[in-house]
Amino acid sequence: MPPIARTFVKAAFVYFFVAFLLGALMMLDRWLDFSRWLRVVYMSQLHLLMVGWITQLGIGVAYWVFPRFLKEQDPRPRGSDTLAWFVLISLNAGLLLRFVIEPFYLMGAKPWLAALMALSGVLQALAAVGFGWIIWGRIRAMER
Amino acid sequence: MPITSRASVKASIIYLALGAMLGVILLIDRWIPLGTAVSALRASHIQFLVVGWLTQFIIGVAWWLFPPLAIGLRDDSPLPVRRGQSQRGSEALFWMALAFLNTGILLRALFEPLHSWTKIGFFSILAGVSGLFLLAAAVLFVANLWSRVRELGKAKVSQGTSS
Repeated sequence: MPPIARTFVKAAFVYFFVAFLLGALMMLDRWLDFSRWLRVVYMSQLHLLMVGWITQLGIGVAYWVFPRFLKEQDPRPRGSDTLAWFVLISLNAGLLLRFVIEPFYLMGAKPWLAALMALSGVLQALAAVGFGWIIWGRIRAMER
Repeated sequence: MPITSRASVKASIIYLALGAMLGVILLIDRWIPLGTAVSALRASHIQFLVVGWLTQFIIGVAWWLFPPLAIGLRDDSPLPVRRGQSQRGSEALFWMALAFLNTGILLRALFEPLHSWTKIGFFSILAGVSGLFLLAAAVLFVANLWSRVRELGKAKVSQGTSS
């Protein structure tokens, strides 16, 4: 498994743990009334699961197991490492930015918080397009 | 990777990009209000990412990588006699599942916002029918893949007296 794929998968495991931890705290909060913060992280927790865990795991495994480029397509077997690292950083920066900002936004909507949330969406969308870009040519029949 | 899986995975990546773009529009709308109609796109955003991207990606990769059917294996031969697509199950059923899945996704993603914007009842019916297409896709895919969820290399089918 190449280092970039390992980083994707390990990051996905971290989100998996954090999202389930938050989920457990949110459920306990109904009973023990820990903190008002736990009532505004619902959407963030959902995105940690859907983007940070499942989507990132899918991207990491696809980057690892999909057929490699033919030499005539690209001398680098998995394409541009730079672009793959960009996808990783952009996806995680966007996700973490949203995770940090959204609770503050939900407790008091301010334009600059909304602007940062929009930026987090742009970063994640760039990561999605970047992933499509690096993987598209590798969705091909295996050579016999 | 067979053409069936390639179609499924490529479609899933298109939905990932579309779903992420809709997410950006929904977030920009919180910052610079783009109109009350924008919030209706949330249903399409969720449908594109959960079904169009994640579900369809998993379906395509599972169809590609799961163990082949045990058909065509002889007791005395370690290699399958039938190779390739014929060992993956029914290609026709897979295409049908893919067609139903994408019809369901598009019906829901198009007509749920359209109904919200126009209040035309027929659009609501079309969005509702999407659930039946998605259900049919799930049934077809699971029925087609069920026998391939097995221990690799163990289940051989006896084909009579081996020569």
